[in-house]
Amino acid sequence: MLALIVILPLLLGIVAISFIRDIAKMKYVAIAAGAVALMLMPLVSYGTTSVNWFSIGSFGIDLTIAVTPLNFLLLSLVILIGLLVLVYSSGYIRSVFEQRRFYVEMLAFETAMATFAVSGNFVVLFIAWEFLSLTSYLLIGFLYHKNSANRAARKALTIIFMGDLALIASIALFWNAFGTLEFAQIIAATQIAHVSVALYSGSLLLLFAVLTKSAQFPFHEWLIDAMEGPTPVSAYLHSSTMVKAGVFTVILLYPLFRIGAVGDLLFASSAITLVLATLAASREMHIKKVIAYSTIQELSIMMLALSVGAVLPAIFFFFVQSFYKALLFFSSGVAMEASGKEDINEIYGLNANRMLYISTLFGVLSLAGFIPFSGFFANEGISLAIGNEYVRLLLAGISLLTSFYIVRWFSYLSRSGKRSQVLAGNYVSASKNMIYPIAALAVLTLAASGLFFSITGFLGYGGALSYLSLGNSMPFSATDSVMYLVIIAFGAALGYFTYYKNSIKIGIGYLGRIIYTGPIVNLFYDLIAVITSGFSSGVSEFDQRLSSFYDRIGSLVLGTGGELRKASVGNINYYAIIFIIGLLIMLASFYYLVIV
Amino acid sequence: MALAVIMTLFNLVFRLFDDKSSQFTINMVFPIMLLISIGLLLTSGYSGVVANVFSINAFSTFLFAIFTAGFFIVNLIAFSYSDNYSDFAIVANFALLGMYLVSAATSTITIFIGLELSTIPMVFSILLSRRSIEAAAKLFIMAAIAISVLSFAIVLLYGDSGSFALSSYSGAAVAAFAGILFISALGFEASIFPFNVLIPDIYSGSPAYITGMLGGMNKKVGLIALMQIFILVFISDKQLFMLIAILSVLTMTYGNIVALVQKNTKRMLAYSSISQAGYILIGIAASTQQGVEASLYQIFAHMFIFIGLMGIVAMLEKNNKLHIDEMIGLNGENRYAAFAMALFMLSLIGLPFTTGFIGKFLLFFSAINANLLWLAIIGIINSIISIFYYIRAIMAMYTEKSGGRPMYMSKPLALAIFLCVAITLVFGIYPQPIISLAGNAASFLHP
Repeated sequence: MLALIVILPLLLGIVAISFIRDIAKMKYVAIAAGAVALMLMPLVSYGTTSVNWFSIGSFGIDLTIAVTPLNFLLLSLVILIGLLVLVYSSGYIRSVFEQRRFYVEMLAFETAMATFAVSGNFVVLFIAWEFLSLTSYLLIGFLYHKNSANRAARKALTIIFMGDLALIASIALFWNAFGTLEFAQIIAATQIAHVSVALYSGSLLLLFAVLTKSAQFPFHEWLIDAMEGPTPVSAYLHSSTMVKAGVFTVILLYPLFRIGAVGDLLFASSAITLVLATLAASREMHIKKVIAYSTIQELSIMMLALSVGAVLPAIFFFFVQSFYKALLFFSSGVAMEASGKEDINEIYGLNANRMLYISTLFGVLSLAGFIPFSGFFANEGISLAIGNEYVRLLLAGISLLTSFYIVRWFSYLSRSGKRSQVLAGNYVSASKNMIYPIAALAVLTLAASGLFFSITGFLGYGGALSYLSLGNSMPFSATDSVMYLVIIAFGAALGYFTYYKNSIKIGIGYLGRIIYTGPIVNLFYDLIAVITSGFSSGVSEFDQRLSSFYDRIGSLVLGTGGELRKASVGNINYYAIIFIIGLLIMLASFYYLVIV
Repeated sequence: MALAVIMTLFNLVFRLFDDKSSQFTINMVFPIMLLISIGLLLTSGYSGVVANVFSINAFSTFLFAIFTAGFFIVNLIAFSYSDNYSDFAIVANFALLGMYLVSAATSTITIFIGLELSTIPMVFSILLSRRSIEAAAKLFIMAAIAISVLSFAIVLLYGDSGSFALSSYSGAAVAAFAGILFISALGFEASIFPFNVLIPDIYSGSPAYITGMLGGMNKKVGLIALMQIFILVFISDKQLFMLIAILSVLTMTYGNIVALVQKNTKRMLAYSSISQAGYILIGIAASTQQGVEASLYQIFAHMFIFIGLMGIVAMLEKNNKLHIDEMIGLNGENRYAAFAMALFMLSLIGLPFTTGFIGKFLLFFSAINANLLWLAIIGIINSIISIFYYIRAIMAMYTEKSGGRPMYMSKPLALAIFLCVAITLVFGIYPQPIISLAGNAASFLHP
């Protein structure tokens, strides 16, 4: 129950901001709430606490808060990055009128995610999940006067609520299969139970929910559009909250994802996402979307690792990825603000601000996977833990492209250009509240490597995670590492010489042709893009096009056109007739039920 | 025990001579006294039968309590927005008495009288508002058809068992036929598809405070009558309960799908209340004690949400802002109303920590335990569909618009909405008291 201590300041912050009159003070209240929450973290202790919420006859519905090392890891991530995001926001959100709404929504989002991180049964998980959906919808649509933001928010909402539906249906099925909603009991039961139909379909639906939340194929579209939210929101959404909820659920309920074909489906979905997202990131020109595609790619690497049993490297990656991902988003925010543009062709001169430049470089190198940054250990660990040669080959290719596209991104930002002088001034005068969180994250990105040596000891403490069979240490092999480094160095060099030096053109032109215009790659990409965007935008415009949709369905299925809608127009005879018809249907059913 | 009924009667006689404000005082004071006496009844755990026609037990007392509280809140709204409150005050009292009768009924005759007594006064109150004679005529005619079918059903049941008492029937086909007729007749009273086509018309044609009473209380009476008759008489007939399950699916789907395309706030809420009736039927279809308990909780939850919503609609109606596009910027015009409306809608969606969530949770839970997993899943799909029209309205309210004039809310209305908000939140966060009461109540239908 001590975990709630962390959540309390956030709630108090929400209340305080709702009632405070002075707009200028709101950001300090928000930061204070986040800081107090972080300071209270050491009070959190391992264990499970259950409180009876209400009971129905002999069935008790409990709210269970569980803190295992895994929960602790996510909780600290949420609180730590949450604080940095709030500090960054205090520099980023300048508009006077939006302060209250922004900080209330942001703290509510943080609260929901922190609750999610310590959920010990499906009741708490569902509540947190639902609030996450709602608050993320509000935050993505924060700039409501932009049409694209509204559309993006609605698209996200549609896909995410489809996931919510799947989640609640799977919870119902698990209740049917196990008779309990407690994670500990469910995990214990899955290891001995035979697989019933309810359990199997429940797991499939849970997989569906997880794929929507973590933006995996075919539901990955919403996360790209979610870029419409303010940059601090993107940074938070992509690094430690929302999308991590899906991956976290897989780790938390790992045995459920090993049932039947569930693991294979997870593998297939994440492999497709991996290829798609990496290719898309290599050709994207929007500054934030490159990073967004790279998030999707990294999530799919985690999912891939989990689907083939490499749990420990996946958890490690899960943790360290947050820091440099938040960092890169923060840097993009500064660059966008300094240049006033969103296309990387038009953004340059990042190196004017030394601190920003070096910090961003740390993030880039970590994302690319260079030693000694935390990204190296994560990628290397996953690649080693995977037994299948083909998958490792795929991952090697992905690593090459990853370092290529991120260096390309960074090269664009640090070039010099026509307006360098003006931009340099903007970069140097960027708000300190925005620069310091970036520097802090750069340090954390480097420091997180240290976890490589201690993660097994940390996660193994208390034995609560024994069901994950984590093994003794992170996999490591010197020869393999050297090979890996050569591959990514090659990718980075390609990016550097093509986009920064503009020196090699021929070789890169060939590669570029394959990536950009290669007929097979393009055909494949277009096909998938059509399928997924058609799927998601079709669903998201659902509510706008509903009227005509109904008419069409109505005339197709019922042969009644708009009758259903016109059903209540005001003619009393008509009603009486419908009543009588209803009665006749009842009588027919009576005949069928009772007499026959 | 009889204190409650005597009070109502005394109340009626007394007010015949009075003017508006003193009638309001009476209508405020008496429900409170009633609630106190009902509270005493609840704590003493009294149960007994009066003259073989009605009984006072945990079931009826629980319903007395929520109907009285609902009546209290409707009065607050009506006082602010009714043109002729004095007439409404008298007429509404008769309706309340009818609701008491149905809640306490032990025989089909009591149910018959109670239903009449709760419906016909509503016809008069719509008529007396002098605005919507058409809606009154529709309500009257449909109620007449329904009541004739109901009386036929009662006669058939009498023919089977030789008494009007609510007790298990013999299993004969004729009596099962009566069951079908009961569904049809009460289908109108409880707004069940396909007997509900008229309901949105009546709801949107009547003044909002009467709609609040109709949708929040009268339709719930129909559901309670259905519950009593089917649980006490037809419990052994699984096929009839399967029929109710199918009707439940049709009702909620119909309500939700048609609500999606509505352009009038009041009409949209009318369809949403139909879909809520569908959810409540899930509990009856489960036919277990848990199911009844869940239905009772949801009746409680939806009553106050709907009355609260209609309170806000009354204000919008007065400002001629019933079109859904006119909701845009409501937050700028009246922050409190926008907050309350958003909360009620979120509660109808089933957001955790509101009564709507607990109600749906209990309903789906009881369906799963009664081996009706498919029904629960369809219910869940329906609640997801409903998100779209509620969220559209909430988005509209919180979109900023320039040039909105502030809208004022009268004090009684503000109090009424505050009470509904408080009930929705408090019993959403701490639902145990109501669940226990509903559980006790349900145990009287399942001896």
